[in-house]
Amino acid sequence: MITKIFLITVFSIGTIAFTGKGAAFAVSAEENYKFYCTQCHGSDGKGEGANSKPKVVGIDLPEMSVTPRNHTNPEDMNKLTDTDIESAISGGGAAVSKSTIMPPWGKTLTEAEIKDLTAYLRKLCKCKGK
Amino acid sequence: MNASNIGRWMLVLPVTALFIALSWGVSLADGKGIFASKNCGSCHQIQGPAAEKTFDDQLKKKGPELWYSGSKFKKEWLEEWLEKPTTIRPLKYNSVTDKNTDKHPALSKKEADEVAEYLMTLTAKEVAKGTAEEKVTPQGKNLFIKRYSCVGCHSIKAGAQKVGGVSGPDLSEAGKRLTADWVYAYLKEPKVFKPVKRMPVFVDIINDNEMKTLAGFVAAQK
Ligand code: HEC
Ligand code: HEC
Ligand code: HEC
Repeated sequence: MITKIFLITVFSIGTIAFTGKGAAFAVSAEENYKFYCTQCHGSDGKGEGANSKPKVVGIDLPEMSVTPRNHTNPEDMNKLTDTDIESAISGGGAAVSKSTIMPPWGKTLTEAEIKDLTAYLRKLCKCKGK
Repeated sequence: MNASNIGRWMLVLPVTALFIALSWGVSLADGKGIFASKNCGSCHQIQGPAAEKTFDDQLKKKGPELWYSGSKFKKEWLEEWLEKPTTIRPLKYNSVTDKNTDKHPALSKKEADEVAEYLMTLTAKEVAKGTAEEKVTPQGKNLFIKRYSCVGCHSIKAGAQKVGGVSGPDLSEAGKRLTADWVYAYLKEPKVFKPVKRMPVFVDIINDNEMKTLAGFVAAQK
């Protein structure tokens, strides 16, 4: 009897500790994209977020001088390797000789999250890259 | 009357006195009391430290933190704004798709002065004095617009026109509102002030001197 209670207790503490940790840190690539990227790349990834075209949300400011990449366009996205995409996310436009309006996320996201985002972008463009 | 009865009276009398005072509106007439009675705390965090850990923690918030107000704001701006609030964030708080059309609660001049007095007592030890000088310099402008493209998410004035993005607070008049010391601390120690936000962490990307130049540039926009 006592061993049974003991085992149940150990088992449930173990489960709570495990799921607790998972829930606190698991953020999917989609959630990261929604939180960080859509402000410029748009909710549908087509490059028309509020920062890119303020007039679309009813704010009278000029368009962004460089249009954020349309992540659903296979032609544009196929020009990039996965490594190109990872460098762009981590170091921003400056790291891949593109506009600095694309900011660096290397100190905000972990390497694993950047890899996951890259895979997510491949789903958006339905393309594999070069 | 025994000892425990005396104890009870010692509690009841002051409490009664307090209620009478409250109903006359006497002890409410200070900034802290106004803040509480107007329910400002239902949207604003007034006590540090920052406790957000997840996107949800941030997305649940209804307004910006005020627990470091005394380090962040210039007092004259605070007094004026609390009486006649204007839009600071072009998009609704926590939204990246909806224009901010909210009307912020306004206070009378007297209330505004008292609440400002109270908010200015809330300071953060991480904000040191005299770190950055409020100054528009060509270097500052270059860092803000070209090198780090802060302008992608924040609007500023370019001559008579306003330019820039809308997901971050409007910085075109940030010099009336923000202190350079706070802006520097905000860039340098983002986790202290805002651990979960849509702005990238720039620690180890922008060097210390550049952060000071940027902070000075932002806090000189008028
Ligand atoms: C402040 C606006 C902004 C934000 C926020 C932003 N981007 Fe960008 N992004 C841009 C712009 C502008 C470009 C186009 C740069 C160019 O063509 O010179 C771009 C380009 C890109 C590219 C293509 C780079 C290349 O080499 O062609 C990728 C990939 C990308 N962004 C991914 C992301 C991801 C992932 C996020 C979120 C973590 C993100 N971006 C957030 C503005 C932004
Ligand atoms: C319904 C929620 C709500 C209530 C109640 C509320 N506020 Fe606010 N407050 C906001 C939001 C949202 C903003 C951001 C406005 C903007 O950026 O245009 C804000 C901005 C502020 C700011 C400027 C902060 C900054 O960082 O820009 C101050 C100061 C402030 N509120 C004080 C107060 C006081 C004092 C009260 C009570 C009289 C109060 N608020 C009641 C939601 C609220
Ligand atoms: C990708 C968009 C983005 C970029 C790029 C960006 N910011 Fe921000 N910034 C934000 C957002 C969003 C907030 C509001 C954070 C919050 O309080 O939720 C913010 C807040 C701020 C604030 C605090 C304003 C206030 O009133 O609370 C300052 C100061 C600031 N940014 C300066 C800068 C500087 C300097 C740069 C360039 C080095 C920069 N930002 C780049 C999005 C951005």
